[in-house]
Amino acid sequence: MPVEVRRIVSLAPNMTETVYALGAQDRLVGVTTYCDYPPEATVKEKVGGPLNPSLEQIVALRPDIVLVAKTANRRETLEALERLGVSVYATNPKSVEEVLDSTLRVADVIGVREQGDRLVALLRARLAALKQRIAGRPLRRVLFVVWHDPLISVGSNTFLADALHWAGGEVAIESGREWPQLNLEEVLRVQPDFLVFASAHAAPVKDTVNDLRARPGWRNLEAIRQNRVAVVSDAVNRPGPRLIDAIEELARQLHPAAFAQKSETRYSILDIRRANSPADLLSDAISEYRISSFEFRRAVGGQAPSQRGEACNP
Amino acid sequence: MQPLTPRRLAWICGGLAALLLVVVVVSLKLGAVPISVTDLVVNLGRVAIGRSDSLPSDQRLIVFEIRLPRILLGILVGAALSVAGAGFQALLRNPLADPYVLGVSSGAALGAIFSLLVAGQTTAAMPFAAFAGAALTIGAVYLLGRRGGYLDSYTLLLAGIVTASFLSAVIMFLMTTLSGRDLRGMAFWLMGDLSSPIPVDLKWLFLVLALSAGAIYTTAADLNLLLTGEQEAMHLGVDVPRVKLVVYVSASLLTGVAVSVSGAIGYVGLLVPHVMRLLFGTDYRLLIPTAAIGGAIAIVVADTLARTIVAPTELPVGAMTAMAGAPVFIYLLRRRMQ
Repeated sequence: MPVEVRRIVSLAPNMTETVYALGAQDRLVGVTTYCDYPPEATVKEKVGGPLNPSLEQIVALRPDIVLVAKTANRRETLEALERLGVSVYATNPKSVEEVLDSTLRVADVIGVREQGDRLVALLRARLAALKQRIAGRPLRRVLFVVWHDPLISVGSNTFLADALHWAGGEVAIESGREWPQLNLEEVLRVQPDFLVFASAHAAPVKDTVNDLRARPGWRNLEAIRQNRVAVVSDAVNRPGPRLIDAIEELARQLHPAAFAQKSETRYSILDIRRANSPADLLSDAISEYRISSFEFRRAVGGQAPSQRGEACNP
Repeated sequence: MQPLTPRRLAWICGGLAALLLVVVVVSLKLGAVPISVTDLVVNLGRVAIGRSDSLPSDQRLIVFEIRLPRILLGILVGAALSVAGAGFQALLRNPLADPYVLGVSSGAALGAIFSLLVAGQTTAAMPFAAFAGAALTIGAVYLLGRRGGYLDSYTLLLAGIVTASFLSAVIMFLMTTLSGRDLRGMAFWLMGDLSSPIPVDLKWLFLVLALSAGAIYTTAADLNLLLTGEQEAMHLGVDVPRVKLVVYVSASLLTGVAVSVSGAIGYVGLLVPHVMRLLFGTDYRLLIPTAAIGGAIAIVVADTLARTIVAPTELPVGAMTAMAGAPVFIYLLRRRMQ
């Protein structure tokens, strides 16, 4: 491990986001073509897609460290880099807690321990506040719809299932597999309280739900009939710091009553995006990280930042 | 058709080898990272006179540790698959035969998947497990494909195809039980991929492949007679059961070894022998060496395209072989008909 990390290559969108959240973006010399958040990341030098990057492009950038996410990259790439004598740091978080831990470790590895401690303390505080806010409310049984035809959902031992739990939900149908293909009959029998979709935009989800409403089976789901459908930013698919935003966003939709008292409202990034007068929100002394996240959004004129987000979905 | 003389053989093979050399040098120059012709020539010169220690370090890494090993592996795999394809086409007397028709690649894939299920932490065991899978399949298909004590082309073909479909079904079943990361790796493996070659000793690989291809070459004259019909060949004194056994075992070995180190790269083994037949005729004494060099050229060209057309992202080479190879083949086929 080099003493001082001056040149970082990130091979996964969540690692890129982590480096930015830690304020170490100046040292980021290479990213993948999927790294679309924050938007500034898209102008960094590209090394290819997460699954099939160009080894020679990575080597040519002379990185002190290459950050790898086992959820996004192939083991073959990691092993080939190690054989070429490139330092690689791989993360594989399986829960929200492990996402925070891995953020701390990455901060340590790239030599910004203090920023890491600050960022993670802040994220933990937000999670604690959220936990308090939804304490005592019944867990919503959720069907996380990764894909609807065939119906693919998330397994019980994934960081997504854990994120659901933090948001006051639980996986309606348990599965040991990472991306289980579910039987619609079973979904009908279980009748989940909510359907959750991850998408950069709300509009395509609305179209999908309207389409499902006309289909046999789906139209018999109570959640569809009563329009109990939650849409979260596709950041929920990326085990990085923005996962906490997505959790807050989801909790707000699963437990609207808990967020009814206006005075205590904590603004999530999505609220900032939706707000008409950002200046008012800024006065609310939101955290450093969130201000910077807001800046990213504003920089693209309120556009949703991840056009290519779906392509990252497994 | 012109008669085959040693002179004609030497000219054609020499010409193809020269073409391969040109393709290799061009492939060494092209890539996601631009390398100037001067730098490449100077560096190649340094290596040629044994002064490789004076190379600039990232040029050494990119040209000699990333591009060159990949090209050399591609040459060996391409040659092996094409010779195996030519062998199977004669053995089965079927122009549609390719190295994978008898299930060798499916067996190798199954072995690779088993190694991921059992020892998922590393891919180091994958080529060995893949070869074990290929070897078991070769044995099983041999036993199933015999009729009256020796290999019967049609029984062998049917036994191989059924074994291949059975193994593919098992692969699909197992793929659904693998976790996401392994699944992604396997998808690349099934398409054939040279982008992160496993560290194999190319000398040993070359030795095994050269011995197998050599064994097929010893039967070249007999294969020419076999193509006129088994009865005819037998009357002309060909030991048909022995020839079939040699070709079956050698071509399967070539396929099994190639697939174990690079995944199932498609179409090269089917197309290249046909292209060589269209260009130089059907004489197996000429076809086998030209298929070997032609297969090497095809893979190096396809892999160079795979790593440059959407650079810096890389495509699996298997996606390029058919895309680039099929139009060439159709062109040659139509031209010959006119």
